[in-house]
Amino acid sequence: MTQTLQLPSVCDFMTRHLVDVFETMLSMPVALRPGAPMPDFDSRVTGSVGFAGDKVTGAIYLHMSAPFAQIAAAAMLGLKPEEISDENEVNDVVGEATNMVTGGLKSWLCDSGAECAMSTPAIIRGKSFAIEPMPDVARECLVFAHEENFVVVELHIKLN
Amino acid sequence: MALKILSVDDSRTIRLIVGKAFKPYECDMVEATNGEEGLVVAAREKPDLIILDVTMPVMDGVTMLTKLKADDALKGIPVIMLTAESGRENVLHIAKLGVRDYLVKPFKDDQLIEKAGRVIPLQKKPVPA
Repeated sequence: MTQTLQLPSVCDFMTRHLVDVFETMLSMPVALRPGAPMPDFDSRVTGSVGFAGDKVTGAIYLHMSAPFAQIAAAAMLGLKPEEISDENEVNDVVGEATNMVTGGLKSWLCDSGAECAMSTPAIIRGKSFAIEPMPDVARECLVFAHEENFVVVELHIKLN
Repeated sequence: MALKILSVDDSRTIRLIVGKAFKPYECDMVEATNGEEGLVVAAREKPDLIILDVTMPVMDGVTMLTKLKADDALKGIPVIMLTAESGRENVLHIAKLGVRDYLVKPFKDDQLIEKAGRVIPLQKKPVPA
């Protein structure tokens, strides 16, 4: 495994890429809150996309509160939050944002010598849940803030 | 006559964003949600341009592009790939299949319009008086 595929460099990439996805697609600046704990979301929308290859396997989970997911969906679609009445629209936007975040990571991993393929997105909705990694799988949570709202990138990764 | 653009993406969000990007221009949008459906719509509508996602269920974009280029009636339709995956190997593989251009997600509307404008003669709709 090359030096570039150590966990801190993966997290550095993810931080830059998440900021880029939110700025480009949602015109919404987000900033990393280093060391911040996982926010206590009242209700949560989580997008997930898995990736797998010979040298690396894992998944990205993109968490945000349900109200902020609606704001983010409206921003991406160029609408007002109140114009979004369908939960499926919010799910699709969160899934697509997760797909973009994971796609960037996949490309970075492939260019670093760890070829992998990625899954299509899935959505989890709930009030209180945690995603536990499998044994030998590292977990990193990167907490970002946009005004008073939080976005969390939860990375589960196993570097072989 | 308005140009016809086919957007093939499993995400309704992306199809909406692509449709909005082309709204100020003289073109009609048609849509498909995966490669299999995309081939059917392409054969029926004969679009002037296809904006094609890569990772989709049922049939992915690379498979659709391969089948499109193997079909004498459809192989002349220009394709711009719109992909979340920008890895060197991935881009080289797609380029070899005969794609006209590619755009990596995340993207801005004007980037898509600029690339499409290099392939088809996009014309702005007249501003209402």
